[in-house]
Amino acid sequence: MKILKVLTVCVLVSAAAYGQALDLKNLEKLSDKAKNVTDITLDGSLLKFAAKFLSNDDPDQAKVKKLVAELKGIYVRTYEFESEGEYTESDLAPIRSQLRSGWSRIVGVHSKKERDNTEIYLKSAGAAEPGGLAIVCANPTELVVVNIVGKIDLDELSELGGNLGVPKLDLEKSKPSKPESKKDND
Amino acid sequence: MSNLEDELRRALRREEPPADFADRVLAQLNQPAAPSWWERFSVLMKPPRLQWVAVTLMVSILLPTAALRYRREQQIRAEGERAKEQLLIAVHVAGSRLHHAQRKVLESGRMETRL
Repeated sequence: MKILKVLTVCVLVSAAAYGQALDLKNLEKLSDKAKNVTDITLDGSLLKFAAKFLSNDDPDQAKVKKLVAELKGIYVRTYEFESEGEYTESDLAPIRSQLRSGWSRIVGVHSKKERDNTEIYLKSAGAAEPGGLAIVCANPTELVVVNIVGKIDLDELSELGGNLGVPKLDLEKSKPSKPESKKDND
Repeated sequence: MSNLEDELRRALRREEPPADFADRVLAQLNQPAAPSWWERFSVLMKPPRLQWVAVTLMVSILLPTAALRYRREQQIRAEGERAKEQLLIAVHVAGSRLHHAQRKVLESGRMETRL
């Protein structure tokens, strides 16, 4: 009986964690059109397995190890297209619809000049929910969707974005009070 | 008919054994009997041969087991390295996009996000 209860709790916890991940299946059809595709799915067990192979001696890998310690999953889809118009807003609609409930958009950057649209969403962690982060970057020839499930430190993640192959930008870190801003560059 | 009788007579005629026949038969009888497989096996089960048998058996069991285990560990390591690479790429993509958004916000001249 006790085992049954433990199993039930495990199933419920797994379901809650799985429920946090965005359903990105509708993007699969873009794989045929894209010239370059990155499709990474690291769920809880695989993420922990991968983290075991990160070196503590390498400072960047040690940071990644610390960063992912409390994560339940990382899902990345990037599509690079030869030409414009190979994907449409309707391809993103199912994802946007998922992001409308329970998620808060903390950043929305729209550049008319570069025709680039970047949105960052956060889901707060609750008693039964691990929280999460979603990033949607769309420009005419590239689409990037990232979903991180679990407690994530944005400062550390941003810092790693500058370290792991991307030149680090000397950005001043500031934390303004406004939770969301939408900008139109130009 | 007489031919057949002649042939039979020739075939069945008494022949004297060679001179050393009796000696050879006696020599064969005096030789010790060849050991049976069980006798040969029981000899192996007695020291010091038993030790060599045990060592051979252990090596023949442990060596393939160790080889299989080593191969499995190599496979796990390769899978782990692949997963690690994927993790690093995923963190890189997520981090660089955050960075990108941060830069865009800064480029606009105002920092109004929680980043």
